[in-house]
Amino acid sequence: MGSFRFDMVVGYWPDIVDGALLTLKMSAVSIGLGLVLGLMLALMRYSRVPWLDWPAYAYIEFFRTTPPLVQIVWLYYGLPMFFGRDLNEFWSAAVALGLNIAAFFAEIFRAGIAGIDRTQWQASRVLGLSLTDTLRFVILPQAWRNVLPPTGTTVIYLVKGTALATAIGVPELLRVGQLISLETFRPVESLTIVAIAYFVLTYPIALAFQAIERRLAASRV
Amino acid sequence: MAEPLVVIDRVVKRYGAETVLDRVSLEVRTGQVMVVIGPSGSGKSTLLRCLARLEPIQKGRILIDGVLSAKGTEDEGPAPDKTGGHDIGMVFQSFNLFPHLTVMENITLAPRRVRGMAAAEAETQAIELLRRVGLEDKRDVHPARLSGGQQQRAAIARALAMRPRIMLFDEVTSALDPELVGEVLKTMRGLAEQGMTMLVVTHEMGFARDVADDVVFMDRGAIVERAPPDRIFSQPAEARTRAFLERLLEREGGTRRER
Repeated sequence: MGSFRFDMVVGYWPDIVDGALLTLKMSAVSIGLGLVLGLMLALMRYSRVPWLDWPAYAYIEFFRTTPPLVQIVWLYYGLPMFFGRDLNEFWSAAVALGLNIAAFFAEIFRAGIAGIDRTQWQASRVLGLSLTDTLRFVILPQAWRNVLPPTGTTVIYLVKGTALATAIGVPELLRVGQLISLETFRPVESLTIVAIAYFVLTYPIALAFQAIERRLAASRV
Repeated sequence: MAEPLVVIDRVVKRYGAETVLDRVSLEVRTGQVMVVIGPSGSGKSTLLRCLARLEPIQKGRILIDGVLSAKGTEDEGPAPDKTGGHDIGMVFQSFNLFPHLTVMENITLAPRRVRGMAAAEAETQAIELLRRVGLEDKRDVHPARLSGGQQQRAAIARALAMRPRIMLFDEVTSALDPELVGEVLKTMRGLAEQGMTMLVVTHEMGFARDVADDVVFMDRGAIVERAPPDRIFSQPAEARTRAFLERLLEREGGTRRER
């Protein structure tokens, strides 16, 4: 009674691997969507053009202040209610999480861009550089250094956040853990192996971000 | 006489309720070096920034070589021509080089992206410019590795790379350690000798005396007096000019740098 029986769950490792791969795939979709949308939102906010700024502001505050779990459910059940079309469980969760994380990326990027001295914009303007060239060659390469650490944290947060997809039955890591737990009646062992799997997924990401930071710091002469 | 290269025509610039430029008119001919002096807050830097189109103006107009470059937002009339903006080069007090790019990349970025110059051509031009400002051995260095004077000379080379017809200098030696001021002024003298049209806001009276064709004294957003340097420094027509120059000489006292 009460002993830790890891041996009862290790046999499920192929299921764990499948769940981890799905978690990874979902994370990739969400992060890709979140980065692109987040950069667009950040630029819309930074533009200070009212009809760009305001929708971006409303979007960011809406997605920051409502629970991502609810956003997943809205997209999964709400989309067919209003549009008569639906996304499957995987895509509902991945897109909802992407829309959510975009709001957080947007705030990170906006702060990063705002952190670049105004004189850099002025120097670019006087040289005749277009707005896109100024962003591409002058502002973003510098903002990049500042946004890297919070971006890394948010990416790791998102990978673990994909566990919310369990709510609509996506067979990702946490869901796999729950199923193993139901079969073995060993919730602690099942969730521990899931936690280890999350660590194996996220720690390399943390290391990668640290390595990029170190390289940028070294090249900053 | 040919039409002036720069025409500043009754320009009014306000920040909120405060009028920073009050119907300023000034003409600069090709090849002229104009030095603008005046107390801080007199509007001299704002005048340059309006010329560079970094600031909108509320009234009046600015023509570059006869083409409307800026016009008062409160005025009627056709919109200014936005294609000729890179006729004007500007050098700032704080250099404003791009810190993540090497000196070479700083200089070649705009010619390549704006003028569509090929990489090799832009580099050849940059090497020639670096030689002119005495930085030929610094091409692959990042700005942080340069002294203030070297950064400012690199900034001058960057501005020249766009082949501007007018160069604006906004207190370009004010942020420099005293021993570095000379090398930047020397570069500017060289430019003036080669016939560059220049508008220079500075506190370096020695430079104004030696290089300027005309000195403009500004106070409280208006041009008080414009005269050749020997006249404005020896017998200013306006009492305000005299008072400013006296205060300046008093402050600098016997330690005034001669150059």
